[in-house]
Amino acid sequence: MSAAAELLETPSGPFAHPALFYRDDQEYLEGTVPFVREGLAAGEPVAVAVPGDRLRMVRDALGDAADTVRLLDMREAGRNPGRIIPGVLRAFADAHPAGQRVRIVGEPVWAGRSATEYPACVQHEALINAAFRGRTVTILCPYDAVRLPAHVLADAHATHPTVIPAGARPARASEAYAPDAVVARYNEPLPPAADAMTFPFVAGSLTSARHAASDEGRRLGLTGVVLEDLALATAELTTNSVVHGGGSGVLRVWAEDGHVLCEVRDGGRMTDPLAGRRPPSRDQRGGRGLLMVNLIADLVRVHTGDGGTTIRCWFSR
Amino acid sequence: MAGDRRRTPYAPGIPAPCLTVRPLAGGRGVRAAGEIGLATHTIWERVLEQAVREGEAVYYLELSEVTFVDVAGAGALAAAAGRLGEGRRFVVRRPPPALCRVLDMFWPGLPAIEVSMS
Repeated sequence: MSAAAELLETPSGPFAHPALFYRDDQEYLEGTVPFVREGLAAGEPVAVAVPGDRLRMVRDALGDAADTVRLLDMREAGRNPGRIIPGVLRAFADAHPAGQRVRIVGEPVWAGRSATEYPACVQHEALINAAFRGRTVTILCPYDAVRLPAHVLADAHATHPTVIPAGARPARASEAYAPDAVVARYNEPLPPAADAMTFPFVAGSLTSARHAASDEGRRLGLTGVVLEDLALATAELTTNSVVHGGGSGVLRVWAEDGHVLCEVRDGGRMTDPLAGRRPPSRDQRGGRGLLMVNLIADLVRVHTGDGGTTIRCWFSR
Repeated sequence: MAGDRRRTPYAPGIPAPCLTVRPLAGGRGVRAAGEIGLATHTIWERVLEQAVREGEAVYYLELSEVTFVDVAGAGALAAAAGRLGEGRRFVVRRPPPALCRVLDMFWPGLPAIEVSMS
């Protein structure tokens, strides 16, 4: 039996989410290309969302077959890990009939992801399991076993129910699988930045809060669509605080390196870990604010607990 | 909520959010001014409900004086467009960039919404 066929036979239901550990290009191609080809041979829709250099490698190895595969540069499509479930994985899976198996190669964690991005990356990997429970979908996640740090490789064993060790097939169940514990462990506090423009708001000052964010964003170098996106994100986050987060909050805007950061802190607690990660149905009213923020920001980090919720987003300048 | 009209020290020139709506000459639509957000969703939804009821084949929403539309405001427009029925449409004139951004993101290519920048 092939490794890929065995991946489909998980005891946990129709959803399969193996981590593939690779040490070099050859192991990468041996792990991904047959997985893609078997899907195509079975008439399954297949997508590959991996960093651009790897994407070119897979595309070249597939040859003409690449034309029938959806290819996405994960560095762009998945720059903010919070948008990968709604914008990449479910966007592809939901476009096909329920019951039709869909295969995706998704590589959201690569060497070079910053320490700031990583908590959002690993929470995303953990939340895939809840987002796809019961779905006839296989998501294969390659991990660079040479260049990624040991704690990242260890986390991959906690976020994936099955693992394919480097150079060793077939897949086996991961004994460390504990996705909820990962989401909780990386729910890290986001201490307030010093020297940030700080603006406490209530319902009556939502407009002023948005203008304050725009003025500061402009002063810090944002222009055009990105400046509009900062205003949109600020409006959605501050409105959420007023409606769901206790009626008030504190907005902060500041710059760090190449980004302008916008943060909203309120007294509410987020109880739904998939908030902002579900694609809404076309007819659904409301509930798109946080999803919008995930789709437009370069990174979104969340800390939530009894003391309140902080949502911080990054915009390139 | 809408009763809180305090001006903040940071932006003294910006009044609390409001939305005013007047009929267009000729009666085939409305001209709105202000912004569409939490404080004005009720007014905006009433405007859209009225537009759906009026039965015009083409209903103009002149938004050049609207400075901002949030995601829920765009969603209300998309929902109203969905209720227009066969052969009817909204022409949304000169909307703020946020509205186009959100429509493109969540409701691309709705046949009942035509965005006109002229």
